[in-house]
Amino acid sequence: MSMVKLVNVRKSFGDLEVLKGVNLEVQQGEVVCIIGASGSGKSTMLRCLNQLERISDGEIYIEDELSDKRANNKDLMKIDAAKVQSLCTDLGMVFQNFNLFPHLTVIDNVTIAPLIVKKTDKKIAETRALDLLSMVGLSQKKDEYPSRLSGGQQQRVAIARALAMDPKIMMFDEPTSALDPELVGEVLATMRQLAEKGMTMLIVTHEIGFAREVADRVIFMDAGVICEEGTPEEVLLNPKEERTKSFLNKIL
Amino acid sequence: MVEKGFVCSLTGVRVQNFYDEGKINVLTEIQLWAIFNGTIVTLEIAIVAIIFGAIFGVVVALGRLSKNKVANALSWFYIWFFRGTPLLLQLFIIYYAIPIIYLDATGITFEINPMICAFVAFSLNATAYLAEIIRAAIESIDGGQMEAAKALGMSYRQAMTKIIIPQTYKRLVAPLGNELIMLLKDTSLVSTIALFDLLRTTKTMASATGSWIYYIYAAAIYLFLTTIIQVVFDMMEKKLGIYER
Ligand SMILES: Nc1ncnc2c1ncn2[C@@H]1O[C@H](COP(=O)(O)OP(=O)(O)O)[C@@H](O)[C@H]1O
Ligand SMILES: [Mg+2]
Repeated sequence: MSMVKLVNVRKSFGDLEVLKGVNLEVQQGEVVCIIGASGSGKSTMLRCLNQLERISDGEIYIEDELSDKRANNKDLMKIDAAKVQSLCTDLGMVFQNFNLFPHLTVIDNVTIAPLIVKKTDKKIAETRALDLLSMVGLSQKKDEYPSRLSGGQQQRVAIARALAMDPKIMMFDEPTSALDPELVGEVLATMRQLAEKGMTMLIVTHEIGFAREVADRVIFMDAGVICEEGTPEEVLLNPKEERTKSFLNKIL
Repeated sequence: MVEKGFVCSLTGVRVQNFYDEGKINVLTEIQLWAIFNGTIVTLEIAIVAIIFGAIFGVVVALGRLSKNKVANALSWFYIWFFRGTPLLLQLFIIYYAIPIIYLDATGITFEINPMICAFVAFSLNATAYLAEIIRAAIESIDGGQMEAAKALGMSYRQAMTKIIIPQTYKRLVAPLGNELIMLLKDTSLVSTIALFDLLRTTKTMASATGSWIYYIYAAAIYLFLTTIIQVVFDMMEKKLGIYER
């Protein structure tokens, strides 16, 4: 089953065209790693998927359902906002800077969205949050405020927070880029665990070793288009495109 | 008695005079009650204004931040007017001008309660100042917070009320305290609309008796109140910042 699909997606900020016709389809259970130079449009692509940004042209499908269709910045389908919202909550997002809610304790960070968005019963939400926190190895920190956690711990809470909404697809935008090197491993381990459970994942990362290990598919983005894609071996070890080669040479 | 003699000796001849006449000794019970009532008037206006100002200030601030052009223009105009004209003028408009306008329009006179006028004028004015303070506080919250909230499926309203605005509380305490202190002092303006606030009460006593000591009493009470506000708001700030390590 196709979990997300982008058809000819374009996105401009004013005169600057950032996505120049992106086509991508991700199947259920697939782990897709996205690599590419800074400014190539990786974050924008993820942000368009959950509609933090609106596309300028093209179509987006979530689980085979159209969630947005535009041409020249014009909304062609005018899909009901509640429908869009419910499709977008199937997408969980983890940010480079964690973006935990600093005024809430760890457990409240995890329960708040289920409580106010899904109106989940408080007991159920808390039980589920504790399960998720123990999955990311942080149940003993449940009553701490985020400022008292290390970056790696904060990012793991952010993963638990996203999972609490029961997303069908998890998107990670450079989840380890803001971390001290010694904290990267614990976050990658949590992500690996998710991948093993069969979660569909879209991961923007510079961790090439991690991508080789967990990705079913690697995508190289350059200047707003998908320049090359294939298995990790194909893209990371035997890239065909010159641009992919030169990018890999730079970061390895 | 010894103490008073000491104070008097500092100010010389004129004081000697008061001391002799006994004016300086103690407040009569009537005076005491008058000063107490004046203090209550002062406090009531300041407290009502800070409460309504904070509530409506949030609304006007959200208007300023809104993408809706009408809401944005209205709140801009509101702030522009109430910050750009003297509070005394606003007080006069409400107390003197509105009854006249009403009379001209309907031919009916109506008694306007000066205390209500003071509540309204001070609240409207505080709203404008607090709206700007609240808007700045909301804008100072990292944009990633709104994005994370939206990515979790929250609506703009949910994100504002549960995520963004609660994070501004700590940043708002100090400016809110300042505003309350300003309001407390500005309440002296209500003497112009037939109200006896703390300052007017003491000034009346001073002119009636020719003694300056009433001004000292007034200063002492103002300082007492503003010090309490300072202390309480400092405590609140510490308490609300508990999550910041
Ligand atoms: N909100 C925005 N307004 C204007 N330009 C933007 C905005 N967001 C991203 N951009 C621009 O879009 C380009 C791609 O950004 P981004 O998707 O963040 O790249 P990446 O994640 O691959 O580093 C960059 O040139 C960036 O400056
Ligand atoms: Mg990026």
